[in-house]
Amino acid sequence: MPKLPVLLASLLFATSARAVLPIPDADNGGLILPPGFHALVVADKLKPLRGMTVAPNGDIYVKTREAGIYGLRDTDGDGRADLVKEFGSGGGTGIALRGEWLYHSTDDHVFRYKLTPGELVPAGPPERIVRDLPNRHQHSAKVFAFGADGQLYVGTGSPSNAYGGKKDRALGATGEDPTEFLKTYGGYWRYDPGKLEQTQADGYHFSTGHRHSTTIALNPVSQQLFIAIHGRDQLSTVAPQFYNDDDNAENPAEVFHVLTDGANFGWPFTYYDPRRHLRLLNPEFGGDGKKLAEPGKFPEPLIAFPAHMSPMQLAFYTGTQFPAKYLNGAFLAFQGSWNRAPKPQKGYQVVFIPFNAQNMPTGDYETFADNFAGKKVIASPGDATHRPHGVAVGPDGSLYISDFQAGRVWRIIYTDQ
Amino acid sequence: MTVRVLALLALLAALAACARREPAATASAKPAAPLPDDLPSDLSAKTFATAEALAKEGAALFTQNCATCHMADGGGVPYLQPSIKGSAGISNPDPQLFLSLILRGSAVLDEGAKAYENDMAPQDHLSDTEIAAVATYVRQRFAAQPITKPVTPADVAIARARPGLPP
Repeated sequence: MPKLPVLLASLLFATSARAVLPIPDADNGGLILPPGFHALVVADKLKPLRGMTVAPNGDIYVKTREAGIYGLRDTDGDGRADLVKEFGSGGGTGIALRGEWLYHSTDDHVFRYKLTPGELVPAGPPERIVRDLPNRHQHSAKVFAFGADGQLYVGTGSPSNAYGGKKDRALGATGEDPTEFLKTYGGYWRYDPGKLEQTQADGYHFSTGHRHSTTIALNPVSQQLFIAIHGRDQLSTVAPQFYNDDDNAENPAEVFHVLTDGANFGWPFTYYDPRRHLRLLNPEFGGDGKKLAEPGKFPEPLIAFPAHMSPMQLAFYTGTQFPAKYLNGAFLAFQGSWNRAPKPQKGYQVVFIPFNAQNMPTGDYETFADNFAGKKVIASPGDATHRPHGVAVGPDGSLYISDFQAGRVWRIIYTDQ
Repeated sequence: MTVRVLALLALLAALAACARREPAATASAKPAAPLPDDLPSDLSAKTFATAEALAKEGAALFTQNCATCHMADGGGVPYLQPSIKGSAGISNPDPQLFLSLILRGSAVLDEGAKAYENDMAPQDHLSDTEIAAVATYVRQRFAAQPITKPVTPADVAIARARPGLPP
């Protein structure tokens, strides 16, 4: 059995990978990390950053909320990006590499650029893969991933809080029949990643009943797609007779699910209480803080994260630089809450999600990178120094994190020291 | 008429964009100044015995109906909900535009003027007196220059009767 050569090879690989690790910042770029981990600032004061991906040669591509895509390259090996190029336009959130193609999405379309080997910036204009997706501004990010079948799975959020009609988000919001609405919103659609100018009607409607999912990623081992969904807001504004400020601050969960064909995640009828681990009816649809949803109708979340923390990008850890426990687990960036007042806001962090031997989440998670906000008590998102949004794994197993607030990019490395 | 409305919307959008880019330049939250004693009789007599009572009610209504999205300090949430500190509608001595926004929500703005992701629902569940109280409080606390002149229920009734933005 080739055990010894494999061990030797992995030792050699680990040694060589470690040998080229850059020198971290003395303050870890302001982050608090587990023992043995360090951080350095790769780039700073860029525009507000969204999703991110790292190429096999170490080039970083990161979306901006309103402008183009940054290409970041470290040309001298010190870990800092000394080549910063912005290209394209249209803002948006989603970005992923597939072979020679760099795919990305605005809030309306999915595009791809052909990359030229060795070149940071694509030479030609992008091709449009999916066009004119539904966009009413609210919950408009069109995140995407490639499935095990090589197909392109693109999310279209629900431009709504809880489908509460004209009064959605306000006192007295009353649920309306979402049947027609959910034919074009609140789900994932599957498209052909090689075919140009597809519309939503050309796609296969893969899942439904979600409010807004801002991340989807393929588990590299099980080849299943996993998603996180943002729960509803403002329970105590809409129905103060049933919910006090504490109920609102702690409800509902931000949920983590496996994405399966035909899945219905229960929005807008229900929400998930992360403290009691119960699925309840939304007050817009007859709920009163006690009435349970019909048992078994909608899937239980694999993880029920605390309310309002805003799960953004998810990245499975496929490297060998970090300790073994991280391999094939996942990192998830939380941008942080705004809807917990009068309680302090929370969740401005990147968490690690362990996956078990069956390649499913254990239900637990741990804070991995913290102190993005730069303060202990956060009254309002505007007070936070940084808000993590994108996470991506580099070719040497470093973890990269992007910042929606002040345009910083960090690289996290493990040195065991 | 249409041109005028479009021009107003363009102005609003420009002001909103301006306020968004320069949050530090706008007035920070000011402590609520006491209201003048010359409250219009229809406001003071109906519900609020004193200017202090009006301000207190306005603050409570702000917390329940506005602060969740616009935040307790009025600073908003980047990209989701606008800051209201020093905003043009609130800072206008004529309250009619501000009242139309409260009563009709962001639906009164056209698509081009919507710089933020979340919609504001009409707050027409509040009574004329309640809207007068909260508008008075917001103008005192968040207008570019604090406006102490109270908004009256009669002002709100005018805005409520109008289908959209003031002419």
